[in-house]
Amino acid sequence: MSELQSALLLRKQLAELNKNPVEGFSAGLIDDSDIYRWEVLLIGPPDTLYEGGFFKAHIYFPKEYPLRPPKMKFITEIWHPNIEKNGDVCISILHEPGDDKWGYEKACERWLPIHTVETIMISVISMLADPNDQSPANVDAAKEWRENFPEFKRKVARCVRRSQEEML
Amino acid sequence: MGNCLQGLTSSNDGVSLLRGSETPPPLLESQSSSDLQLHASSSSGMAFGPPPPYEESMPMYHPTPNVSRPASQLTEEEQVKIAKRIGLIQHLPTGTYDGCKKNRECVICMVEFMVGDAVRYLPCMHTYHVECIDDWLMRSFTCPSCMEPVESALLSTYEAN
Repeated sequence: MSELQSALLLRKQLAELNKNPVEGFSAGLIDDSDIYRWEVLLIGPPDTLYEGGFFKAHIYFPKEYPLRPPKMKFITEIWHPNIEKNGDVCISILHEPGDDKWGYEKACERWLPIHTVETIMISVISMLADPNDQSPANVDAAKEWRENFPEFKRKVARCVRRSQEEML
Repeated sequence: MGNCLQGLTSSNDGVSLLRGSETPPPLLESQSSSDLQLHASSSSGMAFGPPPPYEESMPMYHPTPNVSRPASQLTEEEQVKIAKRIGLIQHLPTGTYDGCKKNRECVICMVEFMVGDAVRYLPCMHTYHVECIDDWLMRSFTCPSCMEPVESALLSTYEAN
């Protein structure tokens, strides 16, 4: 896929998301001149510990998109087993098909060229509601989630509160 | 576009990689970015010609999906794997879009098919632009829509016939 085509595809998605916003997040560009770097604002999903939070994240697309996946990084601090402490999101659909370092991901759970910003965000929202502690990116958060849930809840609540303050 | 398969689809080399294993493994030889050919090598060893003239866009191959290397930097094993992959892709039927209402859009580039577009049909009957799907199949041999492994579907079709 040429650079031109990946840019066209991303512009198309941006226009579509502006026209028909999807519940749960809003999307735009970090810098209007760079279609490959997106900024999304994710609304903490209802009935989860993250409810009420506003989490800002960046999505970085490679020029080979959609043949290769983007990377996603939370800018707002967030405590979750599948998000590294530096904000990097670790979900299987953002991993390339041949890139199964640990051998536990089925090919069908990994990156496909039909994924869009919308499908990625839906996966991330579902990850927030339902952490996968088989492949923790934040081992401390995963351990706490399993063994000391009250403390896990407190940490998440603090992130939610801070994210609200940042929005003011 | 850098699609290394275009030269292959137009000029079939007649080497069927599906028929029997007696054919020696073909080697990739990079001659120029637009004229990449498959050779059924008759002699053993690496059959590289003189280095290709300097060009800005060498055809890139993906021994694994996140690795991009020109043919000259592939191991023999990777060359065989990629040559087999190219051979298998060539066996997938192609056609031109006829306006069929069932398939309206190529879900990879999200562009509606136009009558006359070159399309490729996977064994699961999902349809894509040839350029879009070939680039993906060189990285991962699965249907992006249903995730069916193309190789097993293709081979079982052959066995059935």
